[in-house]
Amino acid sequence: MSELTLTRARRISQGLFLALFLFLFIQTESKGTDELGWPVKIFLDFDPLIVLTTFLASHTVEGLFWLSLILAGLTVLLGRFFCGWVCPLGTLNNLAGSLRKKRPKPPGPGWFRLKYYVLVFVLASSLFGVQLAGVLDPLSLTIRSFSLAIYPALSYAATSLFDGIYRLNLPLVTPASEAVYDVLKKTLLPFQQPWFAQGTFIGLLFLAVLGLNLVQRRFWCRFICPLGALLGLLSRHSILRRSVSEDCDSCGACVAACQADAVPAGKEKWRASECLVCNNCDDVCPKNAVSFGLLKGRPTGGLDLGRRNVVASFLSGAFAVPLLRISPLARPRMSDAKLIRPPGALEEKKFLQSCVRCGECMKVCITGGLQPTLLEAGLEGLWTPVLVPRIGFCEFRCTLCGQVCPTGAIKRLPLEEKQEVRLGHAAIDKGRCLPFAHATPCIVCEETCPTPKKAIWLEEVTVRDREGKTVRLQQPHVDLSMCIGCGACEKHCPVVGQPAIYVTSAGESRSEEHQILLRAT
Amino acid sequence: MKRRDFLKWTASSSVGLALPGGLATLGRMAEAARGPDLVVAKGASTPQAVRAALDALGGMKRFIARGDVVVLKPNIGWDRTPQYAATTNPDVVGALAKLCFEAGAKKVRIFDNTVSDARRCYKQSGIADAAAAAGAEAVYMDSRKYRDVRLNGTVLKSWPLYSEIFEADKIINVPIAKTHSLSVLTLAMKNWMGVMGGVRFRIHQRIDESLVDLCRVIKPTLTVLDAVRILTANGPTGGDLDDVKRLDTVVVGTDQVAIDSFGATLFGMKGSDLGSVKLAARAGLGVMDLTKLQIKRISV
Repeated sequence: MSELTLTRARRISQGLFLALFLFLFIQTESKGTDELGWPVKIFLDFDPLIVLTTFLASHTVEGLFWLSLILAGLTVLLGRFFCGWVCPLGTLNNLAGSLRKKRPKPPGPGWFRLKYYVLVFVLASSLFGVQLAGVLDPLSLTIRSFSLAIYPALSYAATSLFDGIYRLNLPLVTPASEAVYDVLKKTLLPFQQPWFAQGTFIGLLFLAVLGLNLVQRRFWCRFICPLGALLGLLSRHSILRRSVSEDCDSCGACVAACQADAVPAGKEKWRASECLVCNNCDDVCPKNAVSFGLLKGRPTGGLDLGRRNVVASFLSGAFAVPLLRISPLARPRMSDAKLIRPPGALEEKKFLQSCVRCGECMKVCITGGLQPTLLEAGLEGLWTPVLVPRIGFCEFRCTLCGQVCPTGAIKRLPLEEKQEVRLGHAAIDKGRCLPFAHATPCIVCEETCPTPKKAIWLEEVTVRDREGKTVRLQQPHVDLSMCIGCGACEKHCPVVGQPAIYVTSAGESRSEEHQILLRAT
Repeated sequence: MKRRDFLKWTASSSVGLALPGGLATLGRMAEAARGPDLVVAKGASTPQAVRAALDALGGMKRFIARGDVVVLKPNIGWDRTPQYAATTNPDVVGALAKLCFEAGAKKVRIFDNTVSDARRCYKQSGIADAAAAAGAEAVYMDSRKYRDVRLNGTVLKSWPLYSEIFEADKIINVPIAKTHSLSVLTLAMKNWMGVMGGVRFRIHQRIDESLVDLCRVIKPTLTVLDAVRILTANGPTGGDLDDVKRLDTVVVGTDQVAIDSFGATLFGMKGSDLGSVKLAARAGLGVMDLTKLQIKRISV
């Protein structure tokens, strides 16, 4: 195989994996059945950082954890090919970096070590029970950013454009654009416009990650990515090695072309842990002196991170645990009343230890009700899913969020079991409820209550209005023994703004302490 | 339904048969000229019952012309499978779509503004598949296609309604019979909530008047009440098979007030037990008094 085709093969591989990633992303959407038909979370299943940190924090592994062992094993043999050939964020970074023609100068020789400190920090905190990896894991980060920000923004842009042409009602143009819109709606666009709290903020963070490529190409991959660091540690003794022949005249072309910081001085000093196997150095070498091969050249090994720095990172990660846990929300029997977790979510502590904030559940949520938290679950719970019924309720016969969760933070439940799960309970605000406060008939909460025997029941009463006229109407009551807290009532309550019936997490089945009723156990 | 009423209907519909020779032909001709107001067809095969009911009403060709764009408006409001009787039976919808095509319809479009997620409702109700099998289009409502419509009603002066029902050549209302805490039952008139946009649950504050106001402007060519299974409690969502009663019946007619009045009898009630029926009859939108109607009952 000639050198040029290896680079081309790498680019094709990057393109195909990015396409696969985006395809699976778009398939993370209901089509009316309770199955998605595609292994939409497979990239996350292959992610050893997620599996390792979840295991350290919660002492559990998901059924498909062995896929990540395959990636780890291949990395031991072949180096960070994942970063160079597969990772969708890496590919997007490549694309963003190419927006600036001139390759910027590296900021400093030691910066590549930063990501190892990030990794040590994340591993230390997970060892002591706080799962933070998901915030910076590149796959979580990308899926979350696409789900909550990039895709909704693109959808908004497309819909605005097509709606505008639709309203103009131009001959020929509008029918043509409608035809295109129709195809797009069936393929690339979401079924309905997604709306996410913090979407703008999360989108800006993602654009900042891409923008850093203008400071330094693949800035994220070189300096920050904890998954890259983990794969770097695994690849120190890979059997795929770079060798440089006698023809090398140390011109430095390869140093500039390197996608990471693998070739500091050109010749023999090659950092296997930093090499993304992109083959650029081989490509640009004017003397054709560089080649990659199995077991050719010297094993490199060695990655001097500085013992003090590693210890400091470890201690910081460890200390993050108590620092995050002194929130009153971490006290027993305390919880934000609005912290309504998805059906099948583990008990809160376990949940936080398992959730990697990938946003898959929010992407797939059929009503769009699952939203990222800001501080409702403390800083420790940043960007974990919370059901906001006013935006979207939990559809009674849907189990998709449990199906797409990569770590089991949301258990995959059979439908019958899921329908028994209480997310919380509804409560009626009698000061706003029309039949209670305004002598006006309304039974919408009861009507939309999905439990087979309705958890909301109606009491026939006679009330008086302002004129003293008697009015017969029905007043709703919540039967706590049946209410599952799905929020259908809150979503549909016609009292706009602050609803007259709302769900709180009190009574959620995942917490033994967080109960209202004395239940026979 | 009262026993006496039942006897009366049976008598009236069998008069033609009882008359001897020439008179019978005359009687049949007279009946064909006016035709029955309602046809109540009962049969284990739902598609056959629908077909027989339409035939008894003079055939689908009486209602659908060649080249027509027809809208079928079933109740697809909830994410339930057909056996729970929360959504219109897909066999009724499929059979109607087929009859429309046989009568020469160019297009049959099926939609409802659902309460649960539309994808789930269309799929789980079986209506998406039934539509596809019949060559009809089960389309999701397009939020851009609601237009403010002047209703000039007692409660609703104007409301955003789905424009396709005014653009179509013919509309067929295909409700299912269910209980409802506020309107007592949800039948044909209540089914038009499914073409309302806006904060439509607000009309619950004066539901009967609002439904009548809707029916002032929405005039279906035909109404087909699905009573293959009816939901007798915990409506309109259902979810418990114990609340479902199998009647294997469809009721077909052109007067949706009459259909609702008859629909009440399926639940052991009278049309006058439903505020919307009473008001609609008073407003001259249809006939509530079943004794004034020619009701033909058939079994297939």
